[in-house]
Amino acid sequence: MSWAAHQFEIYAVEAHLPKKMIGKISWFAIFFGDFTPDFLAKFWVYGFNLNGHHYGATKPYQWHRGWPGMGFAHTLFFGALVCLGIWAWKHNRAWTIGFLLGFTAHVLTDVNDSIGTMLLFPFSTLNWSLHTWAYAATVKGGKYLDAAAYYSSLGFVMDLFWFFVVLGSWRVLTREFWRTKIVPADPHAWSWLGQWLDDRGLLALYRGVFFYGVCRMIAWTTWAHVVARPVINGVKRNGYPWDLSWTGPWWVQHVTLPHVTPWIVLPVTLTLLGAVYVVASALWERMESGSTKAIAWRNVRRKTT
Amino acid sequence: MSEPTRPPPPPAPGTPSKYVDFFLYASAAVTYVTLSIYNKWLLDWIVGPFWLVAWVWGLPALVKLIRRQPIRPRRGPVEDPE
Repeated sequence: MSWAAHQFEIYAVEAHLPKKMIGKISWFAIFFGDFTPDFLAKFWVYGFNLNGHHYGATKPYQWHRGWPGMGFAHTLFFGALVCLGIWAWKHNRAWTIGFLLGFTAHVLTDVNDSIGTMLLFPFSTLNWSLHTWAYAATVKGGKYLDAAAYYSSLGFVMDLFWFFVVLGSWRVLTREFWRTKIVPADPHAWSWLGQWLDDRGLLALYRGVFFYGVCRMIAWTTWAHVVARPVINGVKRNGYPWDLSWTGPWWVQHVTLPHVTPWIVLPVTLTLLGAVYVVASALWERMESGSTKAIAWRNVRRKTT
Repeated sequence: MSEPTRPPPPPAPGTPSKYVDFFLYASAAVTYVTLSIYNKWLLDWIVGPFWLVAWVWGLPALVKLIRRQPIRPRRGPVEDPE
């Protein structure tokens, strides 16, 4: 799984929208799209302890990304279903396409760990994984071992990569961008929040996810390599060892699910990314008339009641 | 003869200063990272963004409250682009 990368990619998506969508896609929709897969699946991955008993998935990787399990929440098919639901409910293309882009970013980023995602679900339940770093959520190790493994492996590099993608598009974090591109795309949500917060507070809210990503990356990395005193293979160490090799780190148990050969994963992932981009772009035009009709119909109903 | 240079207009009341903003963001990051290294429950997707808002908006709001100034913003309606 990816950690801060999921926070950074929200801003990366926002900064690299097609020209016709700039200032029209809901930032909240991108956020919720990116957030939904783990919101649905992750709580039970780590589980919780109550009265000395652990409640949670017995095989976290199977639950999180596999089938049977909640792995469907990390599939493009499920994302498309939710988008259909949003469109049917609200007829709002800013939210529908925003959710699709955020969801896609999450699903495609997660092909990097050793479990990956079921990219072609429901046609195939095989997982697609690049095995860039080891999936490390275990019943015994919980969230701490997972974090330590991620921030000792190429996962850390992945977070840095997305961090620099956002920094390369630093304007996306400015007050000007927020005021001219983010607020107009979602006037009702920002206006509602503006009942309590002034511009400084609203801007902090917008930047808050990026802030959280940066801080969690620094905090977990510092904890894993400076503060923690793990015992690995019977040896007490000052911090978890770094391992920036493929499928690292070496000190976590490697788990996998039935998967396709890693050699085809990158081209297929990039193809799917392109396909989503094309579909989103094509739907954007068609949804315009749908949105207008829905708003007109809503206005008619309001006048008659 | 060149036109006399005019001094820049004073900022509107309530406009946040860049230096104050920088201080607020930097102190929010330092406090959050420092505390969360030893209290890892703070590293949560709700607490993180809320921390920033509480620090950047909450502290100035607290100062306003002490000075008995209004906290809640006054603003006009926003247009819907759709």
